[in-house]
Amino acid sequence: MGFVWHIAVRYFRSTRADAHIRALSTLTAGGLAVGTAALVLALAALAGFQNLLLEDLTRHTPALQIEFGGGSAGEGAAATESLRDLAELAAATNGVAGVQELLYARGWLADEDRPFAVEVLGYEKTPPPWIPVPGEAISGLIVPVSAALRMGLAVGDTVRVVSPRPGLTPVGPQPRTRMLPVDLIYRSGRAEEADDPVLVPLEQASALFAGGDRRLDLTLAPGADPEEIGDFLRRGIDPAVATVTTWREANRALLFVLRLEKGLVFSAVALIVAVASFALLAALSMVLSSKRAEVGVLAAMGAPPARLQRVFLLLGALLSVGGASLGGAAGAGLAAFLDRYRVISTPSDVYVVDYVPFLVRGTDVLVVLVVTVLFTAAAAVIGARKASLLHPVEAMRSART
Amino acid sequence: MIAVNGVTKAYQDGAVRRQVLRGVDLEVARGSTAAIVGPSGSGKSTLLNILGALDTPDAGSVRVDGVDLTASRPSALAGFRNRSLGFVFQFHQLLPDFTALENVMMPGRIAGRPTSSLSALALALLDQVGLADRAGAFPQQLSGGERQRIAICRALVLEPAVLLADEPTGNLDSRSGEQVLELLDTLRRRRDTTMLLVTHNPAVANRCRKVLRLDGGRLTALGA
Ligand SMILES: Nc1ncnc2c1ncn2[C@@H]1O[C@H](COP(=O)(O)OP(=O)(O)OP(=O)(O)O)[C@@H](O)[C@H]1O
Ligand SMILES: [Mg+2]
Repeated sequence: MGFVWHIAVRYFRSTRADAHIRALSTLTAGGLAVGTAALVLALAALAGFQNLLLEDLTRHTPALQIEFGGGSAGEGAAATESLRDLAELAAATNGVAGVQELLYARGWLADEDRPFAVEVLGYEKTPPPWIPVPGEAISGLIVPVSAALRMGLAVGDTVRVVSPRPGLTPVGPQPRTRMLPVDLIYRSGRAEEADDPVLVPLEQASALFAGGDRRLDLTLAPGADPEEIGDFLRRGIDPAVATVTTWREANRALLFVLRLEKGLVFSAVALIVAVASFALLAALSMVLSSKRAEVGVLAAMGAPPARLQRVFLLLGALLSVGGASLGGAAGAGLAAFLDRYRVISTPSDVYVVDYVPFLVRGTDVLVVLVVTVLFTAAAAVIGARKASLLHPVEAMRSART
Repeated sequence: MIAVNGVTKAYQDGAVRRQVLRGVDLEVARGSTAAIVGPSGSGKSTLLNILGALDTPDAGSVRVDGVDLTASRPSALAGFRNRSLGFVFQFHQLLPDFTALENVMMPGRIAGRPTSSLSALALALLDQVGLADRAGAFPQQLSGGERQRIAICRALVLEPAVLLADEPTGNLDSRSGEQVLELLDTLRRRRDTTMLLVTHNPAVANRCRKVLRLDGGRLTALGA
């Protein structure tokens, strides 16, 4: 045990003797314990919540989308040609597991008396995963419950799908329409149910809505990196024709808000650690002022200022490490307990799950530790600096008067 | 070896400037002893602090054990104090959180000496001043005279080339005073230590090769 440890450990023990220093060192340890526990717990709650949210999000957004500029660029045989090329290019790309072609347009559903404006989504093979329908057997017209109620439609009824673009016939322009049977009625569960699209198989949709917006949704192989594949595709695609968007880019606003939320909660809770660090600074200053003469004697006997400073740095570490690690461990343990036994419940119709999930992430705990160490180290450095600035004679004089 | 030339030192007490040392010259040869006497407040401790590299003079030069103190950097002086100097402070200045033995060992711990040999050395010193059985006591459990002897052991533990002692026998009865002087003499003979003692005790002063009187800011020899 070197000189620095020898002194620091003894001074650490002596903090128990003086009532004021004891109070401050208890406040330091307790504050750091509460602060780190609260930080770990808060981050675990946020991570648990955001994790579920992101899982939900990735389930409902394709990893990559290729969107075609609608209107002029998206029209005609040439556009269809380039779309096919791109679909082939995407399908041949390493890491891409599937490509689905989608078409967005506005149109009408019409019964005998009148038309209703609807969003139309043309889909290839099966409905996209973010439309909550059992995908397997369905390949026909799928109507949202809002439209079905307005029009009094039931499964099996036949309804007319109308395009706003007229077709040229020998007898002049005629609306393009097609009669299709309703195969399924779905409920999206979204707040704006009125905007839920009517799903039309792609061939019929393409025939009716040639001018609609085209999109390719890419599913990736497990472990494939959307950003990497997105960059690769961008190099092969003329940005005037189509744009490639990863799910992160598509949800940029939401992801930003999640990060912001995390940052704000972290900053607010970190204030506890900051206050505890002030207590540490006060405790160190009090120890130092009560030991002024003795530190002066050590300096007089030849202890270099830097080593005296290290004594108080180490004392700062001794005063904070116990509380901080205890708090961190308690926070992680409590979070794991709350998650495991689903202690905090939420109404099941509000949220994806009916309890508050906690997720203790190694990186989060590391960040808490780093922040705690930074705060306390700053306090200890400020507190310990004075030890190196003592004038031995002045310091020794102070004890006598 | 101690060589002091034209050292002055003044303290600023608010608006009043108090000139304590007004040109002090002093020479103590290696292995020699000198005593400084003088009235209270004459600046004896001030001079000793300057010789011990704890304080800086306003003017003049100070060489101790071959080192020019006025020309050295503070970090170099810390090492010098630890290696070459033994200091007995006027008010003992024991460390209350450490036992008598640990106090005596402290200069060695600062120097990074191995603790086992250091503690044997410290125990032997305590034994020579009759305090072996108080090795485990803390300063507040000790009498003034016991503390003073422990402070002397602490100053001697690294067998310094120069010993500066501020009233080392002030609190001691004649028997333990004698013990302490014996101890200093042993060290001086073995290590050729240069010693400068501040004392009010004529018997102690007379055992030194040189006796000097500090008064009015100047040192004058009282006899050789
Ligand atoms: N830091 C200081 N500030 C102001 N004045 C000081 C300071 N240190 C010492 N003095 C003054 O310098 C003078 C000399 O002090 P010093 O301690 O050297 O005296 P001394 O000879 O050792 O006295 P004693 O025999 O009582 O120990 C005193 O008048 C004292 O008040
Ligand atoms: Mg004095």
